[in-house]
Amino acid sequence: MTTTNVAPGTGAAPTTSRRRISLTSQQLNEGGLAVALIVLVVVLSFSSDYFATVDNMWAILGDAALVGIVAWASTLVIVAGEIDISVGPAVAFWSVILAELNGKIDLPLPVAVLVTLVGGALVGAFAGWLRARFGVPSFIVTLGLWSALRGLAQFLTNALPIPVGPSPFLDRLGGKIGPVPASAILMIVLFLIFAFVAQRTAYGRSVYAVGGNARAALLTGINVSRIRVILFATSGAMAALLGIVFAGRLASGNSGAAQGLEFSVIAAVVVGGTSLAGGRGSMLGTLLGVLFITVIGNGLVILGVNSYVQDVVRGGLIVAAVLINMLLANRGRATSH
Amino acid sequence: MTTTTSTASVASRDPGTPIAVIDSASKRYGGVQALRDVSLSIAPGEVRALLGKNGAGKSTVIRLLSGVEEPDSGSVVLAGTALGRGGVKLAQQLGVRTVYQELSLIPDMTVAENLFMGAWPRRAGQIDRRRMARVSTEALARLELDLDPRVPVSQLSIADQQMVEIARALSQDPALLILDEPTSSLAAAEVDRVLQSVQRIRSAGVAVVYVSHRVSEIRQVADTATIMRDGEVVDTVPMSGVATTDIVRMMVGDADLETPLVTSATERGPVVMRVEGVTVVPKLVDVTFDVHAGEVLGLAGVLGSGRTELLAVMAGLARADSGSVVVDGQRVDGQGLRHAMSLGIGVTPENRKEDGIVPDLGVDENLVLTDWKKVTHRGVISTRRLAAAAARAITSMAVRTGSAHTPIGTLSGGNQQKVVIGRWLHAGSRVLLLDEPTRGVDVQAKAQIYELLRALARDGVAVVFVSSEMDELPLVCDRALVLNGGRIRDEQVTPHIRTDQLLLAAIVEH
Repeated sequence: MTTTNVAPGTGAAPTTSRRRISLTSQQLNEGGLAVALIVLVVVLSFSSDYFATVDNMWAILGDAALVGIVAWASTLVIVAGEIDISVGPAVAFWSVILAELNGKIDLPLPVAVLVTLVGGALVGAFAGWLRARFGVPSFIVTLGLWSALRGLAQFLTNALPIPVGPSPFLDRLGGKIGPVPASAILMIVLFLIFAFVAQRTAYGRSVYAVGGNARAALLTGINVSRIRVILFATSGAMAALLGIVFAGRLASGNSGAAQGLEFSVIAAVVVGGTSLAGGRGSMLGTLLGVLFITVIGNGLVILGVNSYVQDVVRGGLIVAAVLINMLLANRGRATSH
Repeated sequence: MTTTTSTASVASRDPGTPIAVIDSASKRYGGVQALRDVSLSIAPGEVRALLGKNGAGKSTVIRLLSGVEEPDSGSVVLAGTALGRGGVKLAQQLGVRTVYQELSLIPDMTVAENLFMGAWPRRAGQIDRRRMARVSTEALARLELDLDPRVPVSQLSIADQQMVEIARALSQDPALLILDEPTSSLAAAEVDRVLQSVQRIRSAGVAVVYVSHRVSEIRQVADTATIMRDGEVVDTVPMSGVATTDIVRMMVGDADLETPLVTSATERGPVVMRVEGVTVVPKLVDVTFDVHAGEVLGLAGVLGSGRTELLAVMAGLARADSGSVVVDGQRVDGQGLRHAMSLGIGVTPENRKEDGIVPDLGVDENLVLTDWKKVTHRGVISTRRLAAAAARAITSMAVRTGSAHTPIGTLSGGNQQKVVIGRWLHAGSRVLLLDEPTRGVDVQAKAQIYELLRALARDGVAVVFVSSEMDELPLVCDRALVLNGGRIRDEQVTPHIRTDQLLLAAIVEH
């Protein structure tokens, strides 16, 4: 076989130029975001002495983990053309469940952790099943969960924190390994796994196919329902995992934890260039999006901006970032035709 | 041009000036000459049938009359006014209304709301529902339609929806009503209602352009027929004085007989798929045939002939009400696509863009979607094996693409189609069900696809080639079946497949 004939990059001249442009439109997103991030860091470094310290950098990574651990799974969900807005309450709920299992019922910690993770996956799978089997829009299914999980967590705890039993594992998970927050390490490991799954596995590519054209995917025999169930199961499991991290950080299960997390996650994914319409997006983009949003939050706190005004600034910057993305993408499309 | 004589004959019956005149219009789309020096003239109260194979130029004529396109040369004159660059807006002002094949009603809105779409009557800033209902009832009554205007359109039958669409066009007092295959999705009894309403419209002095493949229908409703071929008007004839065989001869022409036919059938292998007495109410009646390994079997039929339903049954997507489709002793129909795939059946959909490709994924990934296992190890993609599989397919099918990673959405239609077929070869399918595989594909790519299918048949694959373009069947098929009204009306074997015979069997109502 004349493999060399069609090896990447050696194709016929007229069409390669087109490919180069379509490639850059994705890289443009990521490159532009990276530049924005650097500018932001430089500006903040000049504005505040504390911002550029090593301690603060590690703190930023630790905070980023509180979004990132869920954001990788959410990226796949959104690439598939779905959405999971239940992650914030899910994190709170599972942190409460862990505390109940470990603190109140005195279940051994490994068992409690396992039950929490499996529970998260099962609740997610249920949401995915409602979507896949009955066609209930995932926004509605997860909106229901969003309300129900937070309510259930508050009902179980009377909205009071439930202490977890003293545990070196949870302390470590909520604390640091050397100077590095353990949650940041977890986030980076998960990032590598998810990036690999998205790019290099049949499952990951099928997710892109389902998001890009679900009908075509169905007609090629891809089990679209199973993929949707797995997507939401993964998202649920990651929310439960983040719940465990929260329990470690706060040394308690807290029904009020992770308020507005779904907002930060979706913002990070979209700022990272993933299309809400599905079919397009990358883990690297989401990583940059997570960092972008975390740095903004960190900077606003350090600069002492009024916390209500912080929300306003954050909202404005997110829309601006996506707007610039769209303008770049449109320009890229215009030149490629 | 014979147009003048027919205009004269029409004029003798109706002395009014023609409502629409196209004068020696030509139109090119890129490299394709869609219309060449076309002239025709339609008088008020005349029902004019527009006949021709796919690609003959009928749609372009409709687009000129309704102002969607303007001719490169020549002119369009409506009610004595040259359309020029006036576009759709001016055409509408001059009284042209078009009812397209695809319904354009909003399903969740009521009949009345749809009838007044965008121009709802208002009183004191509010929509005047009472007036809307009254005027709607009148408009429906004019077509003798007994429908409640307050009912959402989605609750109506397809025929009633079609009638509402026609009523909407009529409620704006058109001078020229264009109906583009208004009956293609309807059953026989419903067709009669549409035809009756056309008669009623005509008696009100409205000119009607009626596009349809069904000759018997046209005989009931049209005064004259303009027959087109390859972008030219062959003739305009009164329907009363012309035999159906003559119409078909004019549609097909003589040129097609010179094109290279499949002269030698490939060696036919054993039966791989049995279609036995398949009936799907109301679209298919007792359809029986075998598909052999190593043959290209054509399935011809115009829109609404039941070909879509038949293919769905053969692919396992739909269940036969009676009868069955069997492969290797196992039932296929109604068992789902994945079961069909496991029996070696592959399907390429009619709408390549909507149902076939994943536009943002590369050619390579689009090729292997049907079977990741061949390029993965425990779910992890082997870059090397993916590249090899893609290279093999790209080379063997001569797919023109920058690289294997190029997003398939940027390829031409013909190359996209090759990839869509290629993914079933990757899956190792033995029976390929191809629904209109050459639609929207340029001439050169068509020839390449025919060649590819012949080569596959030689290798023992069974290819079922569904097409509404009768003239391509002799070019690629060993055997052709003609579907009409849900039954198989004709079977022809190479080298005796003749386009005109196929077309006759496909369009004559039995």
